[in-house]
Amino acid sequence: MTVEPRKEETVYSDRLKRAAHMLFFKRGKIPGARTWELRTGLGKGFQKTLSDLDDVLKELDLEVKRVEVQSLGETQASLEGEEDYRYFVRLKGTLTPKEARMSGWRIDNLAAMAACFGLIVSKQGKCERKELEELVAHKAGRWRTLTLVDTFLRTGYLEEDEEGLVKLGWRTRAEVDLQALMMLLAESKPEAEPVGVEEEADQAAI
Amino acid sequence: MKRGSSRTSVKKDLEEIVQTCNSIENRQFSPFLLDVSEALRILRLHAGDLNRLEDHLLDMRAITGIARVVGLQSSQLRFQSTSLFLDPELAKQKLEGLSRQQLAEFFLLSWHPVTELEQLVMPAVKEASEYWKKMLSFFERRGKFDLGQFDSPGTFGLGDLGSSGMMEDQSFTERLQGLWNELKSRAKSGEGVEYWSFVRSQDFRETVSRAQLVSFLVSYGYANMDKNGDRIVLTPNETPVLQTEGSPHSFPIPIPWEKAPA
Repeated sequence: MTVEPRKEETVYSDRLKRAAHMLFFKRGKIPGARTWELRTGLGKGFQKTLSDLDDVLKELDLEVKRVEVQSLGETQASLEGEEDYRYFVRLKGTLTPKEARMSGWRIDNLAAMAACFGLIVSKQGKCERKELEELVAHKAGRWRTLTLVDTFLRTGYLEEDEEGLVKLGWRTRAEVDLQALMMLLAESKPEAEPVGVEEEADQAAI
Repeated sequence: MKRGSSRTSVKKDLEEIVQTCNSIENRQFSPFLLDVSEALRILRLHAGDLNRLEDHLLDMRAITGIARVVGLQSSQLRFQSTSLFLDPELAKQKLEGLSRQQLAEFFLLSWHPVTELEQLVMPAVKEASEYWKKMLSFFERRGKFDLGQFDSPGTFGLGDLGSSGMMEDQSFTERLQGLWNELKSRAKSGEGVEYWSFVRSQDFRETVSRAQLVSFLVSYGYANMDKNGDRIVLTPNETPVLQTEGSPHSFPIPIPWEKAPA
């Protein structure tokens, strides 16, 4: 006589579910939740709940990421001396080029983003928009560059201040591992640009 | 006399090293200004000429100074590597030299997109509800523009679309094929056809359209374009020949109004 193994049902606490709702569903302009929101919604021990949520999400290649509010350009709303963070749920691993294309990202856009971030970081966080556009135009062409930089500004990857200087936006701080990117750029060796079908089509269109 | 001059030279060299090290320590120069191996070579060179206590003390001060500069070099390198430091010019050079594929791959390796789900929230629902309540009916809004009696929607056929210029009666490939055939029939035994005589038409709009199609014929290798002075000659190919060598380049040809027939 064989006994079928019983399927154990996992039970998650209400606090854990509430934490997932708060981090997954966008309520304002920026996704995620801030320290004070989580404290109000989950109580004092919210950090333990977030750590539990992180463990659950790990299995799905997701993680809870904590970013300082000031680096996101938000105003601090906590008591003096108290740390203020915004918590996001983000991909733990990385996307393959095919996955990125399927989510609507062109290789050109990704390359332009890498170039923008590389230049801004090397310029200690700020760079003139004109200089940035010149660099991107070198790869993507002049007309496309104007649209691309505007898209990066609109989606929060870049920010422009009143002096016309461009800096990294909240989304870059939350999503991009700048140290890894700079390391890859510093260690890179240039290789010849392959002539793709897309480029040939562009030339034909001209 | 020789011994005296040698001592002066030793003292001068050691003092120079000590002074350079002091200036670097006082942040007057970059720590990488000092060539450490060259400084050590000088110290080794003079090691045999050190006789008096004050010479040995000077030598010791020079060695200590060099050690401090090496320490500064090390801490500066550590700072640069942890604070994402990359020289802007070097970074620009690297970014310009990398292919789009490489840059995209680097970005993907360091990119962890945030998840975000849109949801309806009470303030947004309230705002939408207020807007809906305040919005006038379609007929009331239409009445403001004084557009007369309301016409029922009609039908618009393919023929209407073609005559209004919204749709081509021939597909692009068919038009390209037709123009290629025309070029082949007009080119006599391998000779080319003069560009303007081929492109020019009764209507300026048609001239522009033919010029555009010719640009595709040339880009796709259906024809070759040669320039002899002011004369541009088109030669058809029997089969499309794609140019794989060299880099493609564009050759703009302006179409002035005079090219239109009177």
